[in-house]
Order: sequence, then C-alpha cells, then structure tokens
Amino acid sequence: MNKSRTLKSIFAIIAVSLSLASCDKIEQDNYIVFSGAAGEWFDGNGVSDHSQRAIIEKYTGVRCVNCPNADIAINDAVAGYGDKLIAVAIHDSSNFTRPIGETPCLSTPDGDTWSLFFGIEKNGYPTAIVNRTLNGNNWDLFNPTSGINSRVDNIIGQAAQVALDVDAHNNNSTVDITVNLEFLQSVGSDLTLTLLLIEDGLVVTQRQPDGSDDENYVHNHVLRDVITDVWGADIECTGNSGEKRIAQFQYTPTSSDWKLSNCHIIAFVADKATKQILNAAQSEIE
Amino acid sequence: MDKTARKLLAIATLLLFQFPVFNILNAQGILGGHVTGNVQFDGQFSRRDTTIGSSDVPEKLLSNARADILYTNGNFSAGLRYEAYLAPMLGFNSQYTGQGIANYFVSYKTQTFAVTAGHFYEQFGNGMTLRAYEDRYLGLDNAIRGINVSYRPWNGVTFKGLVGQQRYYWDTRGLVRGLDAEVSLNDVVTSWAESKTRLTLGGSFVSKYEGDETILSDISGYKLNLPHNVGAASVRMDLSHGGFGLQAEYARKGQDPNIMNNYIYKNGDALWLSASYSQKGLSANLQAKRVDNMGFKSVRSVSGEMLYINYTPAITKQHTYAFLSMYPYATQSTGEMGLQADFMYKFKKETALGGKYGTDIHLNASLITGLDTTVIGGKGTDGYTSTFFGTGDTYYGDVSLEVAKKLSSKLKLTATYGYMLFNPVIEGHEGDIHHNHILVADLTWKINRKNVLRFEAEWMGSDSKYDAAVDDKRCGDWIMGLVEYNFTSAWFVSVSDQYAYNDGIGNYYNISVGYTKNATRLQLGYGKQREGIICIGGVCRQVPASNGLTFSLTTSF
Repeated sequence: MNKSRTLKSIFAIIAVSLSLASCDKIEQDNYIVFSGAAGEWFDGNGVSDHSQRAIIEKYTGVRCVNCPNADIAINDAVAGYGDKLIAVAIHDSSNFTRPIGETPCLSTPDGDTWSLFFGIEKNGYPTAIVNRTLNGNNWDLFNPTSGINSRVDNIIGQAAQVALDVDAHNNNSTVDITVNLEFLQSVGSDLTLTLLLIEDGLVVTQRQPDGSDDENYVHNHVLRDVITDVWGADIECTGNSGEKRIAQFQYTPTSSDWKLSNCHIIAFVADKATKQILNAAQSEIE
Repeated sequence: MDKTARKLLAIATLLLFQFPVFNILNAQGILGGHVTGNVQFDGQFSRRDTTIGSSDVPEKLLSNARADILYTNGNFSAGLRYEAYLAPMLGFNSQYTGQGIANYFVSYKTQTFAVTAGHFYEQFGNGMTLRAYEDRYLGLDNAIRGINVSYRPWNGVTFKGLVGQQRYYWDTRGLVRGLDAEVSLNDVVTSWAESKTRLTLGGSFVSKYEGDETILSDISGYKLNLPHNVGAASVRMDLSHGGFGLQAEYARKGQDPNIMNNYIYKNGDALWLSASYSQKGLSANLQAKRVDNMGFKSVRSVSGEMLYINYTPAITKQHTYAFLSMYPYATQSTGEMGLQADFMYKFKKETALGGKYGTDIHLNASLITGLDTTVIGGKGTDGYTSTFFGTGDTYYGDVSLEVAKKLSSKLKLTATYGYMLFNPVIEGHEGDIHHNHILVADLTWKINRKNVLRFEAEWMGSDSKYDAAVDDKRCGDWIMGLVEYNFTSAWFVSVSDQYAYNDGIGNYYNISVGYTKNATRLQLGYGKQREGIICIGGVCRQVPASNGLTFSLTTSF
C-alpha cells in the first residue's frame, strides 16, 4: 500500500470514528424537560398574566340554520374582547349535527356528554354557555346570536381567583402541554383542569339561514378532543392564596384527520363539584 | 477480580505452566523474558489528639500496599498490580477499602505499531482533552481499561486511538473514546529535515458516552435534558529554534452539564501557551493559560479526584519546602486565568556574584485569577458568559527567589524568600485573602563521603489569624527547624518541628529514621501531621490531621 492510500485509509477511519463518537447538541429551549408522570402536579413559578378570561361554549350543528349567525356573533365578540374571550364550538350527536352528504362528522363523544349534562337538546341550537355559570338554579344557556357581551363583561369584570397559562409544543406529533396555575385568592373547593384540542379552518358543508348548503363554510373553534377526562383532571393543591402549581401533559392525537398545524390547546380550571369555570387560557401548538 | 482479569490470568498461567519449570526459571528469566517489579507498603498508626484535631483510628493500623509485576519478552509485555488498602490511610478515599488486582494489561509493541489491552495510561498533548494517569500520593488513578493502539505509518507521524472505561476505585465507569494525531514536520518534509527550526503539530478528539439519568432542574417538575455524547477536541503546536521554544494548545469541549459546573450547558474551552529560552547556565520560561468550564469527567455526577478524562496543566511552581507548599494551588477547572514566569541563572565561578563555586538563582512568579463572568442562570441554563481577556477575583499569587551557593567544598546553602497570596475560595470556602512571607535557609554540610548533615530553618509571617469557626490550622505565623543526618550512606535520621508562634495553633514535631540498601528503603516516623491539602500538578487531596507512627517500605527488583 502506498503512502497516499495509507493516509486516505487512516483519515477514513478517523472520519468514521469521529462521526460515531461526535457530541450531542442540546438546543437552549430543550435544556430542561418535564420530569414527572403526565398530569403530575409540582410547585411552579407562577403566572405573569393574572387576567380573568371568559370561555364561551357554543353547541352547534351543520344542519342548524341559525348557527352561522351565532358564529358571526361569536367571531365578532372574540375579535372585540381579544384574548379575554375564548371560544369553543361543540358538535354533539343531535339531528342537527348529522353530516350533509359525504362531509366529515364533527361530533365528539365528549361533546355528547356535556350536551346531555347541560340539557342542550331541550334548549335547541345554537345554544351557548359562558363559563358554565348558573342563572338562578339552572344553567345560563342562551342563544348566542345575542347576549354574549353582558355575560362576558360579568365574568371578566371580576378579579381572577386563579390565574393560569398554557404552553404547547409539537414534539414529533406528540403535544407537550405545560399548565401553570397561581392562586390569586384562596379557593376552598376542589378544582379540576380540563384540556381541549381545538381545530380551526375546517371546511365542512353548513346549512345556511336561507336553507342552502354552503360547501365552503369554514368552521372555527371546533372541539376535536378532550385531552383530560371529560370533567377534567384533579388539581393537586391546597388552594391557598399565593400557591403556584405546574403540571405537564403529553398528548398524542387519536385521529390523523386532525391537522395539528391548525389546532390549539384550551385549558380551563373548574370547580369539581359545581362544574363552573373559574378561568381559562389558550395556546397555539408551537 | 472481575471476569476479564480472571480470563487474562488463566491465559497467562496456561502459557507459563505448559513449559518445564527449569525453562521458566532459567538465567534469562521466565520464558526467556524478564520479570521486574516493585513493592511499596505504607502503614500508619494514629491516635486522638485534640490539639491538632486527629481522631482515633478504629482499625489501629492503616495501610496502603501495592506490588507491580511486569513481564517483558521482546516486543511483548504483560503486567499486573496488586493493591491492598486495609484500611486506607488517612486522607485516602474509603472507597479504596479492599484488595485485589487493580491493574492488568498485555501489550505488544514494534517500532511502528503498539497495542495494549487491559489497563493503560495515556496522554494526548498536554492532557487538555485526555490524560489517564496515576498518582499514588494523591490517591488518584484514572487508568482506562480497554484497548489502546498507536501507529506510526511513517517516521514523524503518529496516530493513537483508544476506547475504554475509567477506573473508579475497584470498579470501572463511563465510556471514553479518543483519537490523536501528531506530525513532526521536520521528519515528514524532506527539505526541513536539517532545519534548526523544529515544528510539530497535533490534534486530538475525545468523547465520552453516558446514558440518561434524572437530574432535577431548579424548576419544579423539570429535569435536565442531558447530552449522552460529549466531545472535546484540541489542536497543538510545538515550535523550537535553537534555544527558543514555543508551545501552544487550544481545546474546546461541547455541552457537558456536570456536578463540577453545576449542570450548566455552556461549552468549555482552554488555552495554554508556553514560551521558553535556554542556554547553558540560563533558562527562562513564560506560561499563560485560560481555562473556562473544562472539567471533563467520564461520569457527570461524580465529584472528587476520580474519573477525570482530561487535565489542565498547572502553571504554579511545585514547591518542596514546608511553608512554601503549605498553601498549594488547586487548579480550578471551572474557570481561571494564569500567568507564570520562571527564570534560572547560574553565576559562573570566579565572578563577583559567583564566587569560588558559582551561584544558582531561581526566580519564579505566578498569578492566577478567576474569569470575568456574568451569570445568566443556574442549573439547566448556559450558566454564565465570560470575556476572553477579562479577569475576576485573584485566586493565588506567588513570587519566590531561591539562591543556591556552595560556600566551601563541604558547605552548601540554599536560601529562599517567597511571597504568597492565597484566596480560600479555591478550596471552597469564603474568607480574606492570606498574604504570607516565607524565608527558608537550607544548609548542607558534607562532613565526609559517608556523613552528611542538613539543617533547615523556615519562617512564615502571615496576616491570617486562626479562627475556630473556619478551623484553618495553617493560619498564623510559623517557625520551623529541621536537622537531618545521613550516615554510612545507608541510614538517615531527621528531627523537625513546626510551631505556630503567633495568631495560630499547633506544634508539629516529627522524627524519622530511614535505611536504604540497594533498591530497598525502609522508613519509620513518629510525630504529628497538620491537616491540610497536598497538591501535585494542581490536583489536590485533603490530608486530615494525624498523630502517631508511620512506616514505609519500598523495594524494586
């Protein structure tokens, strides 16, 4: 073997060896990772934004002729209130939600559970509820084509008892979700955290007020999945003012039809017994 | 002994005993080869002494013993080392407790190729990426057990490669891989062969692998996302022209969160420079180094002296006199800047300063500081930023002038003055910087060919005062006297005492007797040992106080 071939062989061996033994590079955003089991609660570092937000759940259906007007009213309200108002569109399994033609079904079992619990079908479609509040002894269900602002104002005008933020990252099609809570006031009751997967920009045929079917109708705020238990995961806390808690969840979407790039995560804290929502937050999936 | 050691021993035994005994023990040695070795036994009795802080030793006798056996036969060699720490002497890690074959290897070496299987020691360049070495006085053994290969395809070109695990007391840990290449251009470039200018270039790459482990971050609920493969690389040069020399090495290390750097992700780097000049009767050397987060161990969560893969050269003088070495400098692998100047000159005989026999002077000065850093976070962050030329707190400073002069044909005097400043933070605790002035007079009287008397007197004045809360027993002003008598060329006896006469505590007397014959040396000592720290090459070990008897036997064959 001549010098040149020997040298090439040696450098080839060195190159292969170096590549096999090269060092790992951890990006700054990933220096630390969640250490516990999904949903396990730890002491956290608090929440910088102490806003009280409202969450409007609208029960809707593709065969509901008044629902497009409700969508307009909700979209207007969301545009007006900015991040203080969070919207969810829930398609249950009533006759109004049966798909038109060969279009996809937007119903979810969790939506059905809630619909049944809140008595939506008796109230008709569209029906909405803000923060799952009561009106007297009954749920404050209303037709969202009007009456949104007064209810939202009533909620966001109060000082938040619990502040929260949510952060979501797409990690190889698994969504890492981090929720931080900070108790701004003491809360005596047991609380739950509910996480929702919401998809925007779904083009699905929708019946219009004039009875026609709009094949290009764009549905937003559509509930795709309840990531936690349908009534939420227990929050391990004392509920004392000043307490800060953190939990992380790993979520793998159960349907490949859902486009994560169009999805976001909603988190809300609710009273475990009364189901009333104390506060909510949402995050894009980065 | 683990399975591998047992297999190697079995093979060696088989090879040895398939030949007749008279062949094995012939005049040439075993199987035509040679067996050499050495044995060392150190023992210690120590008892409780509240004046110096020593404790009773439950075992009464502590001992460190070792025997190295080396067999060589032509290009082949094999060796093993038996070690016994029953129980380890004071200051040595208790994890050494036990006995067994701690080191074994087989090696085959030709002019162009060498391979070692088993335990080996190795160094790439100055050791800034890899230095596997042993220092028995520090209780340090970073031997790698694995395969080490070196190859010289042509004269002047050397490649080395190794893979293995490092010794961790009686176990091995980690996984280390390394490659090194060195080219002597004068040997490779024909036209440079006769050049007075000599240039050698080199480079190395070392990586370690570790699996995952849970190290919690400072943020509740989060742990560190640890790199599994961590690499370090360096380039180096060695340039010389006549009496001038210039050496440089620069090393970088990738993200390596570990217990030494509080698990930060900042890359590490180190630069070492050395310029020297020498001629007959004169030598001068200037060294500089900058080390930033270069602690590199094969196991990230192990502290202490074991499992270091690399080494950053010390650039402070290794003093030998007692008070000059009382505050040794411990290299701060997390970050330091240093400068050292060293100058030696011999005034010739029959000159004004040289006198009848000539005079040697040795001037040395060094200064070590921390880095100029800005903290940006703790565990699980990049930790800090640093400016390349900025300096932080002063860690250590040392100026010493040594004058050695033969006064007559029988008398030789070595006088030394030293000034030292020492920041306790380098030993991990807060406190004011100590400023010490030290004087040493060392007089040797060669009575005749077989009888030599040596007197040593030392004084140290310090602005430090003993504080029971800190309990640094080195503080205060000290005096010391030593008389050593060597007689019949075989025996010696020495008596010494160190006494803190002002602002300090302690009176440490020692008496030693020794006997040397051929390659065997026996020494017996009785006295008190002050607790402190000993450092060799910037690597240090704590030494607890002791009061009692010590003895040592070394022999080689």
